[in-house]
Amino acid sequence: MPAIFKRLWQVNWAEQWQYRANLIMYILYWLVSPIIYLAVWTSIATANGNVSGLTANDFITYYMILLIVDQLTSNIIIHIFAYKVQDGTLSGELIKPIHPMLTSTLVNDIAFKTLNLIVLTPIWIVLVLLFKPQFDSVSISGILLSIPAILLGYMINYLLSGTITSLAFWTTRVYSIHEFYYALILLFAGQFVPLQLMPEVIQNIARFLPFQLFMYLPIQIIQGKLPTNAIVQGYITGILWFAVALMVFRLVWREGVKRYSAVGA
Amino acid sequence: MSPTIIVEQLSKTYKVPEREGGFGAAVRSFFKRRYKDVKAVQEVSFSIAQGEVVGFLGPNGAGKTTTLKMLSGLLHPTGGKANVLGFTPWELKTDYLRSMTLVMGQRNRLSWDIPAADSFLLAQAIYRIPDDEYRKTYKELDELLELAPLMKKPVRNLSLGERMKCEIAAGLLHRPKVLFLDEPTIGLDISGQARIREFLREYNRRTGATILLTSHYMADVTALCERIIIIHQGQLKYDGGIGNLSRRIAPFKLIGVMLAKSNGFDLSRYGEPVQNEEDAEKHYIRVKAGDVTKVTSRMLSDLPIHDITITDPPIEDVIERAFNE
Repeated sequence: MPAIFKRLWQVNWAEQWQYRANLIMYILYWLVSPIIYLAVWTSIATANGNVSGLTANDFITYYMILLIVDQLTSNIIIHIFAYKVQDGTLSGELIKPIHPMLTSTLVNDIAFKTLNLIVLTPIWIVLVLLFKPQFDSVSISGILLSIPAILLGYMINYLLSGTITSLAFWTTRVYSIHEFYYALILLFAGQFVPLQLMPEVIQNIARFLPFQLFMYLPIQIIQGKLPTNAIVQGYITGILWFAVALMVFRLVWREGVKRYSAVGA
Repeated sequence: MSPTIIVEQLSKTYKVPEREGGFGAAVRSFFKRRYKDVKAVQEVSFSIAQGEVVGFLGPNGAGKTTTLKMLSGLLHPTGGKANVLGFTPWELKTDYLRSMTLVMGQRNRLSWDIPAADSFLLAQAIYRIPDDEYRKTYKELDELLELAPLMKKPVRNLSLGERMKCEIAAGLLHRPKVLFLDEPTIGLDISGQARIREFLREYNRRTGATILLTSHYMADVTALCERIIIIHQGQLKYDGGIGNLSRRIAPFKLIGVMLAKSNGFDLSRYGEPVQNEEDAEKHYIRVKAGDVTKVTSRMLSDLPIHDITITDPPIEDVIERAFNE
């Protein structure tokens, strides 16, 4: 098994480098939205002294950490995979003795992510010099404690995106369904606004959804802003969602492949 | 010993959406789609023993590729059963996928952006081929297909023929017991075709693999297969020795002549004139195989002939003709 991943890594890593110009454009595009939120909230907090107790620095550190956490927990499965179903190139992969989505696509996504992080690092440093965040509340233990949450967030997001991408077996409109999923993430993962500023109702809903593990929960753990019971609760919610996402993914995938092979691969 | 491939009453019907052109029809089809049933394969049965090399023939659209896709597991049939190496192909069991290969003549085993060498190493990992076995197989493939000069170029920069060689090699690295080959020599020049044939024959001899292949080239089939299966419009039309087939349906040759002056001669006196789009300079006639010598010598003495060729009719024509007549 590790041999497969090692080779897949070599191949995908080499492939990513072929598209480095694309990648830089992608990063710049992706940066726009969090930086706008950062700028907007920071200026509101500066003007008012604070927003519901959050200072300008709280917003800056929140969004600076978000840039990295979002990069770590997000994925590009829809772009790697959906078209293969539609143009039939998936056929070649289906008759190989490995799971296309859980091996080659996964490694492809991780290779993309790694290169992204390399490109992002200097940009991030420039942004730190520009916005001058004070990372006082960030501790090593907070960072260590957030790592499992980030991993869990990545896996859940991967399986849910994978499930949505698998809808390509039935419909050509997967891209718009995925856009909707992305909108849910913006709202419930705490990208528009840190979740604690949301109305009580939405906060309560968000607590039981998987999306907070994609950004809000790890960021708050890193910043040391969550009490232990909230962290425990977040982890339990995450593990349950992981189990659910895995089950749903397997089911949708299996039925999707059946359908693909029924209509003419 | 039970046969390696058993196919019973295998059928595949595609539901194809259809609509007229134009805006009105587009709107109507948005609300109510109409489908047409296309019977690609109808109740086909045959079985193939271990080590056999069988040519699978039929005109375009006869259902050859559909059958190969079902046998390799890519397609669910709408009816019937198939068993290959003890597996039901479309269950896509890992052990089955590890022991067969499907070469479709398109890019599907090689990654477009990287050199074939890297795709080969990936295949080694995917199929869990031990290092020494991999080296041995690669060496054999390299001897027969001369892969070495192609290995380091990105696949997108290879010619069609070069890519085909690499595709076939990539599909055989794991030494499959069953090979489904769809047009394995398409796009190759004559010597390339011959090399692939020789290679497949040798592979079959060494490994005892079972091979089912489709081809447009009669030479592929005559060189490799003792047995052929013909399907036409989704139905099995012939299953048996190749010798019997040529006696039964292909006792014809094509004579092509290039004349010094093209008008004024009536070639239909010598045989049935036929069109050949690939070679418009020559005039072709179809003649019974037994009459070829007689007719050629008559033509040579009667006509101002620049050039003359005697060839087998294309396999598709033979089959098409045999079943339309």
